[in-house]
Amino acid sequence: MPIIDMRKVYLLGHRQEREKTFNLLQGLGTVQMLDVKSGAGWEEFQSYLEPDRPPEIVSQVDSRRSDIRYCLDFFQRYFPVKKSFIEQFTGARLVISPDQFADYVDSLDQADEVYDACRRIEDRLARLRNEDTQAHNLIAELEPWKNLDLPLEEVSGGSYISMGLYTIPLDNYPALIDELSDKISIYYLEEISSDNEFAYFYFAGLNEDRQEFADLFKAKTVSKVTFPDLTGTAAENIDLLQAKTEELQQERADVLGEIEKLLEQRPILMACFDYLDNEFKKHDAVSNLARTENSFLLEGWVPEPVVGDLEKAVNEKTETAVMVSREPEPEEKVPVLLHNKGPVDAYEVVTKLFSTPKRSEIDPTPHLAPFFFLFFGICLGDAGYGIILALLSVYMSRKLRVGDSGKQLLKLILLGGLSSLVFGILFGGYFGDLIAIPPLWFDPLEEPMQMLFYCFGIGLVQIYFGMGVQAYRNIKSGQPLSALYDQGFWFIFLNGLILMILPEFQAVGQWIAIGGGAGLILTQGRSQSGIIKKFFSGLLSLYNITGYLSDVLSYSRLLALGLATAVIATAINSMGDMVGGGIVGAVGMTLILLGGHLFNIIISTLSGYVHTSRLQYVEFFSKFFEGGGEPFKPFGKTSSYVDVMEAEEG
Amino acid sequence: MTGTEIALIGAALAVGLAGIGSAIGVGIVGQSAAGLVTEDPDKFGQTLLLQALPGTQGIYGLLAGFIIMQEVGIIGEQMLELTVPQGYAFLMAAIPIAIVGLVSGIYQGRVSASAVGLVAKRPEELGKGIVYAVMVETYAVLALLATIMLLFGIDV
Repeated sequence: MPIIDMRKVYLLGHRQEREKTFNLLQGLGTVQMLDVKSGAGWEEFQSYLEPDRPPEIVSQVDSRRSDIRYCLDFFQRYFPVKKSFIEQFTGARLVISPDQFADYVDSLDQADEVYDACRRIEDRLARLRNEDTQAHNLIAELEPWKNLDLPLEEVSGGSYISMGLYTIPLDNYPALIDELSDKISIYYLEEISSDNEFAYFYFAGLNEDRQEFADLFKAKTVSKVTFPDLTGTAAENIDLLQAKTEELQQERADVLGEIEKLLEQRPILMACFDYLDNEFKKHDAVSNLARTENSFLLEGWVPEPVVGDLEKAVNEKTETAVMVSREPEPEEKVPVLLHNKGPVDAYEVVTKLFSTPKRSEIDPTPHLAPFFFLFFGICLGDAGYGIILALLSVYMSRKLRVGDSGKQLLKLILLGGLSSLVFGILFGGYFGDLIAIPPLWFDPLEEPMQMLFYCFGIGLVQIYFGMGVQAYRNIKSGQPLSALYDQGFWFIFLNGLILMILPEFQAVGQWIAIGGGAGLILTQGRSQSGIIKKFFSGLLSLYNITGYLSDVLSYSRLLALGLATAVIATAINSMGDMVGGGIVGAVGMTLILLGGHLFNIIISTLSGYVHTSRLQYVEFFSKFFEGGGEPFKPFGKTSSYVDVMEAEEG
Repeated sequence: MTGTEIALIGAALAVGLAGIGSAIGVGIVGQSAAGLVTEDPDKFGQTLLLQALPGTQGIYGLLAGFIIMQEVGIIGEQMLELTVPQGYAFLMAAIPIAIVGLVSGIYQGRVSASAVGLVAKRPEELGKGIVYAVMVETYAVLALLATIMLLFGIDV
């Protein structure tokens, strides 16, 4: 049975043993907790039970957890843990032994120190960054005045003369000069520098003319620049500031060095984070419970095969806890756990990508598995590529530590490789035409039409199979007539139409099709009221024939993708051939062949996988499967940063 | 124009138009992907996968162009002298993948770009994003199929 039966479990125990029980449940990871308060019987219980609350400690755990997260993020910002391309999908975790893990968790107190240090360092870094920006801004402001020999503090006025530093948009500058010399007799103006937009000048004039300068400057959008806090020339100040930014850089490097020293603590923090995270989840899960003064009540789902183990563990490890279990009620929403044996297990990846099945449905995994295997092989259809994929999968499953679904995916790749090997031998594809071995069956490149018909044929088989599964479901749920009307008549009608295409069966086919069609017209409107409505919706249902037609035609992609793989491979081989002889030619050819075939493997595997999946989802599932079930999510331990190795036995 | 030249126009259209479609599509995805990766550099692998999806049209176009070049003899032993009707046959055979590749590449790029947004919020749903994008690619695959069947059907 691919969908595991679930049992509703109630666990009742003394409050003092609550944490002990939770540790046990979290370790086993086989119970999905339910909120008792939202359960069916809550209104009855409410008079003598009250909702349980997480213990006080939970907020403390939460805040320590976020402190550690802060430190880890802080480290990550300055000294990121490098992830390889594959690890970006699988996640990079630190692998440690259980002893190490225990050691690390014992040093939890160090984490507080690290946290304080990180905070301090971050404040310092922020200050350094600030000062650095200020210095750079000031340098940028001073830059235009570099050639002014006058110390900045001496740019001021007296009783008779006022002076200052000014900027003016370049466009207005010539006009300003003209008007100044027209209107005012005594003044001194020296252009210090100019850039694309502004001119920078030093100006001195008599105080008695002050009003006129002011008006003129305003009209020409001249603005005054002051450096109130600076002494010495602009150039001297720039040198000073540059020296200061260098100092700041140095200080920053020192601070980064401090962080680097703290990095030693990173593994401890990682382990502590995972530990606290699980502690938090454990404490937080208490909010699902109900309590009396001295007891707690837990409600949850447990997969049927492990109920016995769980009960045994609860009885052995605790003194007061009692567990009872029952079959789910028909109206209850039961979570779904899939379990498939052998190679079929790998194809759960495909099902889960679409949706977890509902409990009332059939798990489509075992039904899609053989088709997926065939289709992927046809899409890739190259023995060489198949061997490489299979080897790659074996290598990665040795090398990488991945979770359950990762293992399933690797297994899926392995099976895909094997399937491709089989079809490569049948179709004569060995790295395209690199190795000339005649096909065992026939070459689709030579006879594409023949291959196209096989594709339609295998597609038709899958569609009929899907209809068959739905018919089986109908019969099993006590509706044999639905199976006849909705699947049986279509089966007859479609087969009749197919026979009509073949000249020797045309007459027979015609009558079969008419029979099936009549059946459909008579039955497909049965949910409507009134004879006319019944008839017309029955007639209209024949329009669905386009759906079946496009479903079958859709399988032509198997041919197209198979041809694409083969032709690209051939193209790579001919490109390799075109490079001339000699040593250079040989090297060039090797590079082209290696790079080209690698590229083709990646691109063809990807499109083979996604298009094969699509055929399952759109063409196959539409016949019998909807999905939308709730996956089983047990209360257990999770890890974000570290993988604790299983204790080695023997 | 000789028949051979007309056939080569077909090859150029297949490679060129389908390539443009892919270039635009991959470009659109790249823009949203880069935006996401500024926030979360770890998503590089996943977004690269999405960015690769609209790239297949260009490959299909190249494939069609390559078959034409091979049939005409540009690659290989020697150039054939095609008649004008034969040349047009090659040109017409290239049209499906050229046009559908152009348009579907762009639209697949848009869907993949939205899938980047999906991955930003729910990285575990990458698969569904890919499936949406592949729905668009279906038509490029069908067009490629038509082109290949047409090309194989031409007698030279």
